[in-house]
Amino acid sequence: MTAAHAWRRLRPPFIVWLLMGTLLTCALTVDGFIAPGNLANVARQVAVLGVLALGQTFVIAAGMMDLTVGALATLVTVIAAHWMDGQAARLWSGVAVALVLGLGVGALTGALDRTLRIHSLILTIGMMTVLTGVVFMITDQSSGAPSPQLAALANEDLHGVPLSFLMLALLTLLAHLGMHHTRFGLHVQAIGSSEEGASHAGLRVAQAKAATFVVSGVLAAIAGLLLLGRLGTGYPNAGSGLELDAVVAVVLGGTLLSGGRASIVGSVAAATVLGVISNVLNLLEISSFVQMALKGMIVVTVVLLNRPAAQGRA
Amino acid sequence: MSGRLRPGLEQAAIWLVLLLLIVIGASLSEAFLRPAYLANMLRQAAPVGIAAIGVTLVMVRGGVDLSVGAIVSASAVCAAALMDGDATRLPLALLASCALGAALGAFNGVLVASSPVSPFILTLGTAIVFYGGTQIVTGGTAKGAIAPGFREFFNHRLGGVLPLLALAFVLLALLGVALQRRTPFGRSLYLVGSSPAAARLCGLPIGRITVLVYACSGLFAALGGLALLARSGVSGSLAASGYEFDVLAAVVLGGTAFQGGRGGIGGTVAGVLILTVAFNLVNVVGLHYHAQLIVKGVVIVLASAIYRRIGATSGVSA
Repeated sequence: MTAAHAWRRLRPPFIVWLLMGTLLTCALTVDGFIAPGNLANVARQVAVLGVLALGQTFVIAAGMMDLTVGALATLVTVIAAHWMDGQAARLWSGVAVALVLGLGVGALTGALDRTLRIHSLILTIGMMTVLTGVVFMITDQSSGAPSPQLAALANEDLHGVPLSFLMLALLTLLAHLGMHHTRFGLHVQAIGSSEEGASHAGLRVAQAKAATFVVSGVLAAIAGLLLLGRLGTGYPNAGSGLELDAVVAVVLGGTLLSGGRASIVGSVAAATVLGVISNVLNLLEISSFVQMALKGMIVVTVVLLNRPAAQGRA
Repeated sequence: MSGRLRPGLEQAAIWLVLLLLIVIGASLSEAFLRPAYLANMLRQAAPVGIAAIGVTLVMVRGGVDLSVGAIVSASAVCAAALMDGDATRLPLALLASCALGAALGAFNGVLVASSPVSPFILTLGTAIVFYGGTQIVTGGTAKGAIAPGFREFFNHRLGGVLPLLALAFVLLALLGVALQRRTPFGRSLYLVGSSPAAARLCGLPIGRITVLVYACSGLFAALGGLALLARSGVSGSLAASGYEFDVLAAVVLGGTAFQGGRGGIGGTVAGVLILTVAFNLVNVVGLHYHAQLIVKGVVIVLASAIYRRIGATSGVSA
């Protein structure tokens, strides 16, 4: 790796500068923003979306999209709440059930993508619809509860830093290493930039693509567990809409929607920017409807400003 | 990319899937043989179907529009608020909500035309803005009242069989097909979609075509909003959230690919009807409402897969 290469790898994406600017501006101008309690709150809120965005980054880097993650996280929330039912002894079995579920659904999506060869957007819209149906077959109202340890993970701090944020930081590090320093991650990006080329180069395209869905599924399961810890109950609409928020975070973070170039750090930074902005608008007591419109405008503006040389189309 | 090599076979395939589903329905229940029941399914399909007409044009052009759900909601709210229970204000309300839809669509078009950024993410962003704007206006609840006679008119059954709303859907679909086949604008969409570079060399005004096609999508979404108002009477600001997924599923089922340049409105109508018939099948079998979602998801995946298989054997890449 040459020095220029190293710099290109290390250079923080646009969104990281934006995150720093946003944090600085908010700290200087908004009363109460830098209160430790408030910052910890932002960090806790960011964790769920951040974890989902990590998984989505892998799928998008490979030139696909995974719209099942919101419904999958919801399914995990509901099933884990049902199983744990507030009992401390059921923590590990509940976590195992959740991870196996995420892995299984991710593997199924990957296998279907491989055998049916239909566009990932349509495949995952179909899977999302099925998963939502399964969630509501199980329950149409909030039921069950997380084990106390899971609730603690989602809500408590270590020396003022929320545990869930530490977990996000750890997963971000692992995902960054996986994306940029393993053969798998580089293959995924190669496939995203040219599937045919990657195939000619002898890469195992089908396996790598399926694996990205597994990564996304497992991370969706972790996000579902964090959601359950935060909410304190298995709410059947817990994750609705999160799939599109995750796509937004990934794209704002500088990953190309057409695949081939990915930034794990960017995805998490973008999820954090969205969390900070919504927190500040809350502190300023701006109505949630105005917040929604502002959020949309910010998304459009950042996407237009953060224009890479060669953007493909979806 | 030679999507129009065997259009006959492609077109036939999707209608065969639809016919197959209706035959299955008929074998399960007499209802599927009654014209009134079939006409009613057309009426059910109208809001999503009408919105899907415009999105098909956008996707033939090689774009995508995720803001249709937001525009459907915005125009339904706009119409209900403006008519406010007064029949004399109907024309104003209908015109204004169509104009609103076309304007929001044109705004999307300007963004897409002026930037190399993926239309997927751009229209996802504008959808959030449109939803937020609608919520600000309504304060988060249903607003306005539907004028007397509006719903009665569209739900009136011609000859006791065909609801006018179903007829309106069919007429709008025919209008869309005519637009796509008989106008230079419609034909240029296929060229821009299959090869923007070639289109530019041919001297086509790509920017203007893009703005126009997104404006069309907004207009059809507004008409879909009026259809929603006529069918269900709902004017809540999130009435049509999630429609974008139904619309996308229907368009892709109908054989219009994300890459652009192929497909068309005929297939989309069949795609919408397949989803509607599948829903009714679940009802007829007597499964729980939530099982409908599962069946719908499976139909989306299976039908796309079957369709792709047929497309592949007829020498057309999906």
